[in-house]
Amino acid sequence: MAIFNLKKREIECKIVYYGPGRCGKTTNLESIFRTYQKQITGEMVSINTEGDRTLFFDFLPMGLGKIRGCEIRAQLYTVPGQVRYSSTRKLVLRGVDGIIFVADSFKVRREKNMLSLQDLQKNLKEYGINILKIPLVMQYNKRDLAEEGLPLMSLEMMERDLNRQLKVPSFSASAITGDGVGETLQGCMKLTLEFLQKQLKWAE
Amino acid sequence: MNIAKQIKGLIQEADIYSSQGLYVEAKGKYEDAAGLFQKSKQLENSDNLLSVILQKISALGQKIKSLDGTGANHEISIKAQNLIKQLFSFSSEEHEEAAKLEGAIALAKFGQFERALKDFFELLRHDTVRVVAAKNILRCHVALSSLDAAVAQFQKWLTSDSFNSAELKKIRLFLQDMIDKKEVNITLPEIRGEDKGSNQLQEKDDPANVLDISSIGIIFDSGPRKGSIVEYDVSFQSGNMISLIISSKEKEWVDSLSIDHKLEDVQYYSPIAMFNGSGLVSSKTEIKSGPKRGDYCLDIKILSM
Repeated sequence: MAIFNLKKREIECKIVYYGPGRCGKTTNLESIFRTYQKQITGEMVSINTEGDRTLFFDFLPMGLGKIRGCEIRAQLYTVPGQVRYSSTRKLVLRGVDGIIFVADSFKVRREKNMLSLQDLQKNLKEYGINILKIPLVMQYNKRDLAEEGLPLMSLEMMERDLNRQLKVPSFSASAITGDGVGETLQGCMKLTLEFLQKQLKWAE
Repeated sequence: MNIAKQIKGLIQEADIYSSQGLYVEAKGKYEDAAGLFQKSKQLENSDNLLSVILQKISALGQKIKSLDGTGANHEISIKAQNLIKQLFSFSSEEHEEAAKLEGAIALAKFGQFERALKDFFELLRHDTVRVVAAKNILRCHVALSSLDAAVAQFQKWLTSDSFNSAELKKIRLFLQDMIDKKEVNITLPEIRGEDKGSNQLQEKDDPANVLDISSIGIIFDSGPRKGSIVEYDVSFQSGNMISLIISSKEKEWVDSLSIDHKLEDVQYYSPIAMFNGSGLVSSKTEIKSGPKRGDYCLDIKILSM
C-alpha cells in the first residue's frame, strides 16, 4: 500500500522482485545500485544471506524525482526464492504496489519459474490481491548465457509458460551485465504509477 | 554426437549450473555424464575422469545438504533488526502502539525472538495492545526454548497483578490452545473473577484479536449482483473491527447497507489463510476531504470466521 503524504506531496511505493531461487533478483538490485547512483537515497541492505543466497530480503530505497508535482520515492525489495521461505516471501509482499517477476531462462529451471509464479499468485490472493489486477512485469533473465551455448528457453516459450494469461509487459535481461535491468524497472514503475494515479488521484 | 563430446557438453553445463548456485541441476548433469562414462568403458583415461566426476557429485551432495540445513533464524545485527521494524510497521503515526506491535511481530516472524521478546514486554504497558503482546511473548518463549517456558511465564502473570481476569482468560485460552495443538498433557488453571469482557466475543470466536486481516471479500446476498463477490483491502484494523475504503462508484451498494446489517457471507483474508465468516456493518461515513473524497469508510465488526 503506497504511502501518500498529502501535505508534503510525496508518494512512497513498494516494488518487489519475485521469482525462483537463484534467478537473479539480488543481482538486479545490485545492478540498479551500481547504475542509478544519483537516484539511490540510501544503502542497499541485504538482510541475512547465506553465501550469496537471500534468506530474508534485500532492500534498496530510490528517489525518482517529481512527477506531476509529487515527489516519488520507491522502495525496492527482493524476496528469498527458495521454496521453504514461503512465510518470509509473504511478509515481504505485504503492502506491495508493483511486482517484477524475474524468471530464469535456463531450460532446467522451467518448472521452478512456473511454481514460483503460482506461489506469487497464492500469496497475493491471501492478501486479497488479484494477480491480474496488480501492476506486474516479467523479466526473462540470464539471456547473456545463450552466447555460451547453454540450453535456454526461447522468449516465445517463456511467454507461453508464464505470460499467456497475464499478458503483462515482459523484458529480456541479463542482470549480471545490466542489460534490460533499467528497462524492466522503468516498465514496472510506469504501470505502478499509473495504477496509483487512478487510486490516489494525486495529479488531478 | 559421439559420447566424448556429449560428456564434455554435460560437464560444461554442470560447471555453469554449479557456478550459478544451481547445485541440484549441476549434480543432475554430472550424474548424466557419469552414467555415460560407465556405459562406455572404451574412453581413454575414463577411470580417472569418472572418479573426478564422482567426487564433484559427492561435493555437490554435501553442499545441497548443508544448504537445506541452513536456518534463517539466527540473530542479525541491531541495525538490521531496526530496519525490519521500520519497514514492516504499517500502521500510521497516530497508532504508535499498533505500529510498535507490528514491528515486534515482524521481528518474531524473521526469527529475531530475543529482540522481539524485549519489545513485546515493553508493549505490555499499553492497554490497547497488551493482550496481543502477551500472546506473542508466549509464542516467542515456545520458539526460543519450550512450551514449559511459556507455561512458566503464564504462571508468573497469574501471581502478579499485570492483567485483569478478563485479559488472563484470553491469554489462558490462547496458551491452552497452543498446548492442545502440540498434544501435551498440561491443563492450565482456570481463571476466576469477574469477566469484564463478557460482552465481547470469546477468544476462540474472535481470531481477529490475533490475526491480521489484510482484505475481505463480501458476497452480495441480494440485489442484481446477488452471488457475486467484491474484494476490498482493509485500511485499518483494531481487534475485531476492520475499516474498508469503498469507492464512490459503489454508492448504491453502500446506501443499501444499514447500520447493524449482517453480512452473512464474508471471506476474511489473513497472511496465513482465508476464512469464511460473517460480519456486521458497524458504521459508514462519507469521506469529505483528501484524495479519497467522495469515497466511503465502512467499519465492519467481525462476527465469526
